[in-house]
Amino acid sequence: MNISYNWLKELIEIELSPEETAAALTRVGLAVEGIHPHKDDLILDIDLTSNRPDCLSHLGVARELGVITGRPLKATSGSAAAGDELDAVPFPSVLAPEVVRVDAPELCPRFTARVIRGVKIGPSPQWLVDRLDALGERSINNVADITNYVMLELGQPMHAFDLDKLAEKRIVVRTARAGEKITTLDEVERELDETMLAICDAERPVAVAGVMGGFESGITDATTNVLLEVAYFKRENIRQTSRKLGLATEASYRFERGVDIENLIRASDRATELILELAGGEAADIVDVYPERQPERTVQSADISSAVKRLTGLDVAADECERVLSSLGIERTGEGEYKSPTWRHDIAIEEDLVEEVARHAGYENIKDELPPAFGAGEYQATEVRKRRLRGALVEQGFDEAIAYSFIDVRHDDTFAAVPEFLREGGEEKFVTLKDSVIEGAVRMRPTLIPGLLGALRLNLNHQRRDVKLFEIGKSFAAAGIGELPTERELFTIAVTGGEVHEDRAMPARPLDLYDAKGAVEAALEAAGTAGYEYRPAEVAHLRAGQAGEVVKDGRVVGTFGRLNEEIAANYKFKQPVYVAELDLQTILAEPSEPAVYTPLSRFPSVIRDISFLVPRSLTFAEVRRTALAAGSANLRAVSFVDIFEGKGLADEVRSLTIRLEFRSDERTLTEAEVEAEYGSILSRLKDEHGLEPRS
Amino acid sequence: MSDANQHIEAARTAFAEAFSPFDSLDLNGSGLAEAEAKLRELGELKVRHTGKKSALAEAKKMIGRVAPEERSAFGQAVQAAEKEITDLLEKAEAELNEFITAARIERERLDVTIPGRRPRTGHLHPITILRQQIEDIFVSMGYAIEDDREIETDYYNFDALNIPEGHPARESQDTFYTTGGFALRSQTSTVQIRAMERRGVPIRIIAPGKVFRRDTPDMTHVPMFHQIEGLCVDKGITMAHLKGTVTEWLKRLFGEDTVTRFRPSYFPFTEPSAEFDFSCFVCHGSGRVSGEQRAVSSEEGENSERLTAHGSQLTDRCRPCKGSGWIELGGSGMVHPNVLRSCGVDPAVYSGFAFGFGLERMAAMMFNIDDIRHMFENDVRFLEQFT
Repeated sequence: MNISYNWLKELIEIELSPEETAAALTRVGLAVEGIHPHKDDLILDIDLTSNRPDCLSHLGVARELGVITGRPLKATSGSAAAGDELDAVPFPSVLAPEVVRVDAPELCPRFTARVIRGVKIGPSPQWLVDRLDALGERSINNVADITNYVMLELGQPMHAFDLDKLAEKRIVVRTARAGEKITTLDEVERELDETMLAICDAERPVAVAGVMGGFESGITDATTNVLLEVAYFKRENIRQTSRKLGLATEASYRFERGVDIENLIRASDRATELILELAGGEAADIVDVYPERQPERTVQSADISSAVKRLTGLDVAADECERVLSSLGIERTGEGEYKSPTWRHDIAIEEDLVEEVARHAGYENIKDELPPAFGAGEYQATEVRKRRLRGALVEQGFDEAIAYSFIDVRHDDTFAAVPEFLREGGEEKFVTLKDSVIEGAVRMRPTLIPGLLGALRLNLNHQRRDVKLFEIGKSFAAAGIGELPTERELFTIAVTGGEVHEDRAMPARPLDLYDAKGAVEAALEAAGTAGYEYRPAEVAHLRAGQAGEVVKDGRVVGTFGRLNEEIAANYKFKQPVYVAELDLQTILAEPSEPAVYTPLSRFPSVIRDISFLVPRSLTFAEVRRTALAAGSANLRAVSFVDIFEGKGLADEVRSLTIRLEFRSDERTLTEAEVEAEYGSILSRLKDEHGLEPRS
Repeated sequence: MSDANQHIEAARTAFAEAFSPFDSLDLNGSGLAEAEAKLRELGELKVRHTGKKSALAEAKKMIGRVAPEERSAFGQAVQAAEKEITDLLEKAEAELNEFITAARIERERLDVTIPGRRPRTGHLHPITILRQQIEDIFVSMGYAIEDDREIETDYYNFDALNIPEGHPARESQDTFYTTGGFALRSQTSTVQIRAMERRGVPIRIIAPGKVFRRDTPDMTHVPMFHQIEGLCVDKGITMAHLKGTVTEWLKRLFGEDTVTRFRPSYFPFTEPSAEFDFSCFVCHGSGRVSGEQRAVSSEEGENSERLTAHGSQLTDRCRPCKGSGWIELGGSGMVHPNVLRSCGVDPAVYSGFAFGFGLERMAAMMFNIDDIRHMFENDVRFLEQFT
């Protein structure tokens, strides 16, 4: 809201400099964002909160200033002779319906109209042009300018019709009929619907109530008779209409926030006075359709001073509380009872009174105190483990990503979600937004993978070929109709390119599936969980033969592997990409595994490394399981040494080297004992898998 | 006797002849391999002239055979010859070894300026870094960290927060809705309600999390961002506690000299309401920066240099606070009695404060990030700048 400093001075005596005025207003909540010179005036740019429409006028700002300075408002010329006279002779109410009929009183609780005949439309005098110009309003003609001027002065929007353009010279306030059209002042034809309030003549809409007047019934140079509308409309309805039409105006801005229903006559009088002065003519009596007087709103507060103390800690004497409140128009009407001013829609409860007193007492006078000690703080149950997990990944060279939670619908069914998450069968699986601000991104992500792949693409575009990313975040799945969607926290990684060393330009080696898997293993270990099994799997978005699932206690909790060719082609990835996604929420639901100490052995181990040619279908895990199951009493561990394929080997086989470790906790094993157990393991591997040791 | 002496003399002569290449050994310009070859050669020479089958060894054997009266003199002559030969050999050997050692050191000289070998370390997202710092501060101040659903009912997103139907904040143009009619939470204040329902009062919580608003992405707007919400409800809680708490955590984050400013404002879920600012962590409230501070505080590099080159006044204006000395951070206030009642808390007995602020804006200001959209693009060139 732009406020003219000169205009303010006409409404209240100000001894403060413009800068001091700005600071004082800011202090009480009318944030002055800037002071801009305009000719001999200074314009204060005030950022108002939505609960203070009463300050969308010079009068409202002057009133706040009055509370600050303790000075009364000057008598404005709105209550000048003409106004008093006009007020004194109300239009005979029996005749009112002939001029104004309100068919929708719930949307228009009060409507006033006044006819002024014999006006001469012309340019405004320079002072009026200047004043509007200072506040960023363009001068149109004297009558239109006056309606704007009074709105800026008193906060009440109004509209002037050319009386002779109104069919039967009358006004009907009603909701529009579906499909009814009106060309508004901006010369745009608009279609109305039944929820919108229209100001009509005997035949058709002549204004969109509270939003904008009609073009055809507007004031022109030829206008001689004016009908001045000053009304109050239901706030919610104006807001709705303004949104539906995509038309926000100075008027709708004020009406939807709430004007002062008891200020209509004064505003009408003020405008009439100015019209008579600047455009001549003769004013008729005012028609005031106000069937149900708005009830007075009262606020109970037995002891405002102690309420202020209780909520803010401020000591403000009762007298000062009363002074502030009454200066704001909040009059004490009885024991512990106050009247809420009709221009303040935001004063309803004692706490509202407290705020009024506190902001004028000054928030800077509220002390800084800490609340009394309460108890130990605590992180979320899983936070510590998530921090370790994040730490482990960062150590492994992963950068943490955060992508938007809404993704494009084209990813549907391309990616497999974590198990037991999306609903099966024909039921709706996904959570969908009604619309989005990003083209196509209306799907609440069921997986984090597309977000990371998008990020890989972006990085590749910027010549970053070696990228490791992870994200921890929620995914979403539809639940039953009327039920809140299921939210599940996932942990997802995507890697491509080579193993990068700090400050070295070339990667050390290309990344492969085992880098992705290693990251998953490290993350799970850091999160304090163990006992996972990794087994081959078929996963929609992963390449067959390079895909695995992560299993805990028989439950699949995630997948890992190489992105399949089709998706890679869609993203134009020319180098292999590996991804893994785990159901972090399920994983962390289990308590972390405590460490258990095993006594250190006093006896040496005997190591046997052994290589086999294995078919590609036979996994290390199976070989290991078989070896462990061979019944060797002293076999302590079967570990992976190396796998080799290619040169010198047939395509369908690999050379697998494993290490067997034998040890007894009671004695040093003899060569013969080890040989015997080793032999039985070899024969078991031969029997089960047909494996022969390579020489 | 003369035979014997002649023998010594012959051994001496033969050695001198063989040794002559080593006599005035000049290794200048020789390579390591050459020196090593010479050392080997010298070794062979040594064996030939001092070994078991050498003339010298022969002479030693002759000592027993010469006449007793001449034995002593002969023995001395043999010893002298042996010493002479050995000394020469040792000297040459030492010279060669010294050269070889030096040459080897030279050959194995390493470039210690080459970067050490360490796998690249990754980086946490700046939002995570900031969130963790703030969580740590509040946990140390006795707060519990909470989070909850991101998709909510209108009740939790609006009604319980005293945002009635028809309120501008409820306009669907600000809030994302699912086709099922649920809202993507537009503020983490929803957690206030859920946490009070779950934990009851008294309560002290901090709720960090994602929130969603229907803003088209541009340099200063994103449709998804992170907020941190604080809530403290107890008997006798006042705005002084709000101010004290906000000031305290900002001091812990930005330093002891940080001061805060509260300005009256309006939020449906608090009454009285206030926005809070804190003194700029770069200029400490002055709004201006000296050259030194600018160098420390600003990564803008080129931009700032360009301005300096042109001598523009702008170079002196502090960047994060835009010269005002204050950084506007968030909203706060005393929990509205209607909100307390929604959670079954009697506002006549309990009072509380709440505050909230956006992490992206804060991070953008702290790290001098010019385009807030970078937060969700996951460009590694962006991510790797934060540790």
